[in-house]
Amino acid sequence: EDEDEGNGLDAWERAYADERSWESLQEDESGLLRPIDNKTIYHAQYRRRIRTTARIQKGLIRYLYIVVDLSRAASEMDFKPSRMAVVAKHIEAFIREFFDQNPLSQIGLVTIKDGLAQCLTDLGGSPDSHVKALMGKLECSGDSSLQNALDLVHGYLNQIPSYGHREVLILYSALSTCDPGDIMETIQECKKSKIRCSVIGLSAEIFICRHLCQETGGSYSVALDESHFKELLLEHAPPPPAIAEFAIANLIKMGFPQRAAEGVISICSCHKEAKVGGGYTCPRCKARVCELPTECRICGLTLVSSPHLARSYHHLFPIPPFDEVSLSLNNPHQRSSRACFGCQESLLIPGNKPTLCVACPKCKQHFCLDCDIYIHESLHNCPGCESFR
Amino acid sequence: MAPVPSKLYSDDVSLLVVLLDTNPFFWSTASLPFSKFLSHVLAFLNSILLINQLNQVVVIATGCNSCNFIFDSSSVPANPNLENGRMPALCSNLLQKLEEFVTGDEKLSKEVLAAGIGSSLLSGSLSMALCYIQRVFRTGPLHPQPRILCLQGSPDGPEQYVAVMNAIFSAQRSMVPIDSCVIGAQHSAFLQQASYITGGVYLKPQQLDGLFQYLSTVFATDLHSRRFLQLPKPAGVDFRASCFCHKNTIDMGYICSVCLSIFCKHHKKCSTCGSVFGQAQSDGNSATDRKRKTPET
Repeated sequence: EDEDEGNGLDAWERAYADERSWESLQEDESGLLRPIDNKTIYHAQYRRRIRTTARIQKGLIRYLYIVVDLSRAASEMDFKPSRMAVVAKHIEAFIREFFDQNPLSQIGLVTIKDGLAQCLTDLGGSPDSHVKALMGKLECSGDSSLQNALDLVHGYLNQIPSYGHREVLILYSALSTCDPGDIMETIQECKKSKIRCSVIGLSAEIFICRHLCQETGGSYSVALDESHFKELLLEHAPPPPAIAEFAIANLIKMGFPQRAAEGVISICSCHKEAKVGGGYTCPRCKARVCELPTECRICGLTLVSSPHLARSYHHLFPIPPFDEVSLSLNNPHQRSSRACFGCQESLLIPGNKPTLCVACPKCKQHFCLDCDIYIHESLHNCPGCESFR
Repeated sequence: MAPVPSKLYSDDVSLLVVLLDTNPFFWSTASLPFSKFLSHVLAFLNSILLINQLNQVVVIATGCNSCNFIFDSSSVPANPNLENGRMPALCSNLLQKLEEFVTGDEKLSKEVLAAGIGSSLLSGSLSMALCYIQRVFRTGPLHPQPRILCLQGSPDGPEQYVAVMNAIFSAQRSMVPIDSCVIGAQHSAFLQQASYITGGVYLKPQQLDGLFQYLSTVFATDLHSRRFLQLPKPAGVDFRASCFCHKNTIDMGYICSVCLSIFCKHHKKCSTCGSVFGQAQSDGNSATDRKRKTPET
């Protein structure tokens, strides 16, 4: 959270002057450069991440608005090539990751330019339409207005069904906000409507953003550099802990369409043209749709396939974090676990030094640090628990 | 974790991870004897290693009580004495470890299953295969293109649904295709979905005596060359869901917005998470003892 202008050096220059990144390089016996061992750093970051996610209920059906600040401040070049370009690039990656982890949720895009907030795309479930719309509108000018953005988003989010979780993610480059009225009132309105607002700042910490996030239960963070920004942004992809009173539990009617036979000609309801084969048939009104998940344009039924629901089951049945274990050759009880159970990589380093590895608390199998990260972040199955009845 | 593009290694080098079903309950009643099956598979594995010098084969056994690595073509052969002139070292190494595995697996059997054929631990071997493949990705830009081949005969175990789906999605994200060759009597819904979602090939051979021919014509090609071949296409993968209350296949149903359980009729309360519909749920319902329910497809 430091200012970018310190000592007259830009952030990228300080990496050479202060941090001396070349000193962390090492040579091996033959004089060749050894790759920097980032494994323990990644593992420590990953341990920090999972410590915060306890086994609490998560909001699985999310309606998220991403507010992109396209004011004058977004053309600053402290993020190469410009803040706006970096933000757009990472939003694309975030949108894909978001739909991968939350297949039943929807995203909408809003931009702030010249003091006004405009809706770029409506709430929808198709990643490509959002990305295309954003890439077409990357110009910045004028001031930034937080209140206008919040008012706009508030209006839209009030129309969504009561079982959905309402969220806003603001990517704020400016250091100020020019508002037409009392922003504190707007913040209270958002709090009353149960909208969870989070902000990722690109310049410095601003009190009003901190206040907004505290009032609505969101998270506020400021990015130090591009990779930090990417990390902070992707933290919003998994479902946040659900505040129980925020969404009302409801039974949602959904359809599970069958895939239409190859060679059948029908008019598809999304593109309004005749298509041959492929596609899915809505079970209620028999209209043809091209892809899932989607809402049938004719009768409004939400159409999903069972894998889409299964994608979210791992949020409901998480595996416990593994315990850190230090292996040493001298311990007779640990002699049987010389290799990682998942990838068979040897857990011992030559020289009798104790290695750091992890063990599952349920099945007691040992895993290497890389498998630990992969298992908890992507696979969501413990190979040890699954391999024994 | 996205894999490094393997264009830096020749396009047609493969890493084939074979998941071999060794469930004794299935093999005791199978039409093809296990020994004949093994001879087809060993010939096939040999042919993979012959196609390209850099190809790698790993075999994982899927038992009914445990799973384990049986063979890795890239590891140094441990026992050259096993090459007794009648069998190459590959076969004898593999067979020896397989025998050890099957004996160990049988010892773990707690009780004899009374009805039907028990399922094998497909989710376990899939998870182990994926962890191994991640290790290969970590070795740097030079690595073979991995894929998984499931030789499965036992029926699907509904209690493994969530774990198998997790493995399938992880394979899809890492772009690892899962091919399936089903040797049992009935189709496997899990493997049909796995192959469809990950872009692999699903096949249920009609004549098991010619298994080697099916394996070598359909499953031996590397991923790059598959673009030029007409491989069996999926015919009608059923993505409809089953309701949690009756296990019937439904095409329209009701989903609990909290836990995504599927019901065929309107209920007042969700049986999985306990949320009462129509009013804000209280915190006490966040389930601490929920087991993995078995939604079948």
